[in-house]
Amino acid sequence: MDNTKETMSNIEKTLSDAEETPSDDLSIVNPKTPLSALAHPHKDYSYAFLDEFAKREIRRRILKAIAIPGYQVPYASREMPMARGWGTGGLQVTLSLVGPGDIVKVIDQGDDDSVNAANLRRFIARMAGVKTTANPLEATLIQSRHRIPEERLREGQALILQVPVPEPLRHIEPSMAKTREMHADADYALMWLVLYEQLVRYGEFVTGASYPVIVNERYLMSPSPIPRWDTPMLHQAAHLTILSAGREKRLYAVPPYTDVHPLEFDDVYFQVESQADRVCRLTGARQKFMNEIPQPDGGSLFSLSDTGYAGKLLKRLQDQDVVIGETYYDENGGFYHAGYLKS
Amino acid sequence: MADIQITTQEALTQQVFAGLMWALSYPGQAYPLPDDGLSAFSAIGETLVDLETSYFTPHAGLDRYLSQLGGRSKSPNEALYQFYPTLDKSDLANLRHAPTGSYLVPDESATLVIGAAIGAGRGLRLSGPGIQGENDISIGDLPLEFWALRAQMRAYPLGWDIFLVGNDRVLGLPRTTHVEVL
Repeated sequence: MDNTKETMSNIEKTLSDAEETPSDDLSIVNPKTPLSALAHPHKDYSYAFLDEFAKREIRRRILKAIAIPGYQVPYASREMPMARGWGTGGLQVTLSLVGPGDIVKVIDQGDDDSVNAANLRRFIARMAGVKTTANPLEATLIQSRHRIPEERLREGQALILQVPVPEPLRHIEPSMAKTREMHADADYALMWLVLYEQLVRYGEFVTGASYPVIVNERYLMSPSPIPRWDTPMLHQAAHLTILSAGREKRLYAVPPYTDVHPLEFDDVYFQVESQADRVCRLTGARQKFMNEIPQPDGGSLFSLSDTGYAGKLLKRLQDQDVVIGETYYDENGGFYHAGYLKS
Repeated sequence: MADIQITTQEALTQQVFAGLMWALSYPGQAYPLPDDGLSAFSAIGETLVDLETSYFTPHAGLDRYLSQLGGRSKSPNEALYQFYPTLDKSDLANLRHAPTGSYLVPDESATLVIGAAIGAGRGLRLSGPGIQGENDISIGDLPLEFWALRAQMRAYPLGWDIFLVGNDRVLGLPRTTHVEVL
């Protein structure tokens, strides 16, 4: 009993001390305020699903990722109401960024209407009350699985890429402790060796998606499994790119106007997938990234991978009013940063 | 269906974070904050500081506020989030020891939030990621020695990430930004 009395008097003393402390011009909570007055009104869910504690952690990590381009920042990666490996990394970043004024586009392999994209988009819209769009020019946040839109993104837009394997060295060094050391030392000799062996065996680089790049002349980075066609779009881009792997609990970023160079040799250059001789069966477009549709006779038809862009081209063919942005590749396959792709 | 509303606090931290993220993405461009003055600092604290983070500030009122968020008050040579509503020469001795990270974990480095005059004062020429070519800006209310110290402590990928707060605007200087004092 004596102990309790002592504790009570201590608490009272603390409270009266606190009352005497001037609160400056910041709102310091008065310890005598009842808890009910401090609580928010009841809500079924936090805005954008994640609670403030989860968002704060991801936001802190995103800021560090932007400050150290290409460096993989660990984060907690919360449980989401979908399985890991289905875009939970990208989703957590999108939900940490999104505000009521944002307009969100979600694509899966270039497609706005695939099951994965449609579900993610519906979830984001439902939890954040935002507008959605298929038009990359209109969107403020673009979450994507494995493609970058053909139309050039602009300043103030954030592209969020879902990443399955964030570690570019994973296939040559399974230990994460060792790859961390290799990144610390910028020791990427083994990666160069892999490319050299590809040349010796096959006469060309055979790494397709996730072609390794050096960001800001320092960190080796996996650009997520975007095709080689999309890799140059990260170089000196106007927009911000955030890459996030939910299962692997790593996120990293490419800030705007940052050098991104694919690994290549002085005499053997990085090449994008050739789209020459491929014509979109719906729009007649050329020199854009195409989906190949095998035919019974052994031949192939092609259609644009970027459905948002294809939709615009179709509207134009029907003489509807539509604004089509400038694309990264022109009609002859020329990239917009002249001289970046060597031949 | 769940009724989704955004609370005042959620709206505040979302807006503050958007300001911080874009400021760090485009160094030298000022972005708006929903609050100004000391409230801008407390709002940034509310957006970044909780029981998982350490902080330091020489400002007594702000220190009390940040401790209420659950952050651990640590000395300037350990704290990862440091708030200086005003920075004068005497603070530089503290700042000199602020963590810059290590090669294994460069992200375990200090984020400095510093009060300054944006758009007035000393001319600076910025270059690096987030900047097309060069960007000339003016920053006042900071001792000249601060820029020398930043340059001295910057050894990419190690260094500090800095937010300069002027009234209700924030300007980012990540460790990647090269600052030339004009």
